[in-house]
Amino acid sequence: MSNGGATHYLTAPLRWLARAADVPLRAWQRMTGQGGMIALFLLPNMAIFSIFVLIPLGMNALYSTTGGVEFFLADRPYVGGEHYARLMDCENYLEPRSCRDDMFWIAVWNTARFVIFQVGVMTLVAMITALILNRAIPAKAFWRAVFFFPVLLSPVVVGLIWRWILQRQGLANLAMFEMGLEPVNWLTDRFWAFFAAVGVSVWAHMGFYTLILLAGLQAIPRDLYEAAEMDGTPPFRVFYRITLPLLMPNLLVVLVLALIRAVQIFDEAYVLTGGGPGTSTMFMTQYIYESGFANLLRNPGLAAAASILMALVLVVLTLCQLWLSRRAGGDR
Amino acid sequence: MGAIELENIHKSFGAVDVIKDVSLNIPEGELTVFVGPSGCGKSTLLRLISGLDQPTSGRILIDGQDVTRRSAADRGLAMVFQSYALYPHMSVRQNMAFGLENTRMPRAEIASRIEEAARLLEIDPLLDRRPGQLSGGQRQRVAIGRAIVREPTAFLLDEPLSNLDAELRGTMRAELAALHGRLGKTMIYVTHDQIEAMTLADRIVVLRGGVVEQVDTPLNLFNAPANRFVAGFIGAPKMNFLPRPDGRTMGIRPQHLRLGEGGLPVTVDMAENLGAETLIHGRSEDGHTLLAMVPGQVTPERGDVLSLQYDEADAHYFGEDGLRQ
Repeated sequence: MSNGGATHYLTAPLRWLARAADVPLRAWQRMTGQGGMIALFLLPNMAIFSIFVLIPLGMNALYSTTGGVEFFLADRPYVGGEHYARLMDCENYLEPRSCRDDMFWIAVWNTARFVIFQVGVMTLVAMITALILNRAIPAKAFWRAVFFFPVLLSPVVVGLIWRWILQRQGLANLAMFEMGLEPVNWLTDRFWAFFAAVGVSVWAHMGFYTLILLAGLQAIPRDLYEAAEMDGTPPFRVFYRITLPLLMPNLLVVLVLALIRAVQIFDEAYVLTGGGPGTSTMFMTQYIYESGFANLLRNPGLAAAASILMALVLVVLTLCQLWLSRRAGGDR
Repeated sequence: MGAIELENIHKSFGAVDVIKDVSLNIPEGELTVFVGPSGCGKSTLLRLISGLDQPTSGRILIDGQDVTRRSAADRGLAMVFQSYALYPHMSVRQNMAFGLENTRMPRAEIASRIEEAARLLEIDPLLDRRPGQLSGGQRQRVAIGRAIVREPTAFLLDEPLSNLDAELRGTMRAELAALHGRLGKTMIYVTHDQIEAMTLADRIVVLRGGVVEQVDTPLNLFNAPANRFVAGFIGAPKMNFLPRPDGRTMGIRPQHLRLGEGGLPVTVDMAENLGAETLIHGRSEDGHTLLAMVPGQVTPERGDVLSLQYDEADAHYFGEDGLRQ
């Protein structure tokens, strides 16, 4: 049977469906015009978006104004802005212990520190990796795949792999022991646990940002570098006068996307350290999850209020990203 | 200053030989054009001279000094790229200053060189604009200005007009010729457009398959092509080739054919009337296609048999090896 013949039989149900839908669709268009057709085709997507995003967002906002431990909204008493007041009640925002909900502010500052280190280190490493991958190195495609591979892994798998490597009797300490070095409490020491979370997150997400930067590097015409070479431009000057300015639109997108993602850090860090030791790696999302669902004295209203505050931060960052993308698009 | 010599230059990319044993002598102050069909190696040869690529073997000398292993920056040459290669995020002024800043030249000297070049190229009102805000012709001038401010011993121009429309190309061609006259510097110009080559060059280097086919003045190439390839490549419309019974090929340019009794009988396929002349497409008795550019307005019909005459002095003869006889 020819290829065309096989296609004919395989698409037969679709053709039957198209014929069956033809009459009602034409009737709908006659009644509602072009606008009605657009609305009809958008409906399935909007329905899914509403069920999984818009409605939960609205419910979350409602929950944040209710108290008690009940899960059903109807059973929960209205408390107004009490949860917001509790979260924001602080003598000194830089000193979480002075706040009414100290855990929230510990999580806020842990997240802030994490964002600064993770985004900074990751952007730098992604940039260096992209610069290396952009050169004529052997097995370029292989290395590109190697750096991108962790992006494909589930965050839980990433957390488990690294816990196995970094735990007290894990692979890292075994290697250090073999080299005659003292083992390190990677996951049980406050300092190392925080930086383990940063490092693992960098490892897991770096490939994606490397790819964005690599695409930006490859879009810079080779002629520009050759013109610079004819002018005898030293390599560092080529980088900061040509590469960096021309890569800036991509770099800004990377920075904002990485920021948005880092603020939401949860799964790999939670699997890796569980927020510990103590509260040294407890981040915002973990605070929300534990306040709402995991703590013995669960408080869904408080968790909802905290997630609304976090959403506001994310909205600001997303608007930054949109603005930067549009500006970069305009420049081109 | 600016004499360039190539000695037995050979360039291979892997197993592919792109330039094969090319030797050339480009005198100081001359405008030399490298011309040839796509893939003939003309741009590669220019890149070897510039230092952007290294020859596999052979030597490159500038003013008698061996520069074969010197970096591009140390050869004292400036290059104008086909794409202009202007830095899009810098103003015209910054583009022109960029190369000079590398040499730690005093700011005042840089400014004065830019002003001078801008005046010469009439781009002074554009100095604070970015390349994206300029037309193709203006970008081209800026690219040339960036080369001029470096005061190089020679200019290398890689198809600099190919991104411009036909009208602008004509204007820029005349400006480049005038600029060469004013600067008096050696220029090597790469093009695949033989009209550019004919109108600009002091001498033309015709390349094919990485080999130099002929080096001569434009008129000598037109009047006495060394072989059948050069004869066919130089001149528009292309030369007609008619096989002779003795195994040789006769070449006759379309411009050298005229209507008259007792000439070559040609069956007309089509006639293109250009106003001042008519381009007649036809076939000889033995079926070879033939072009004739006759003066005035002639309107033959398809299938008409015309008689075309020529002077024996205008005929070129090529042996079976393709060489002129």
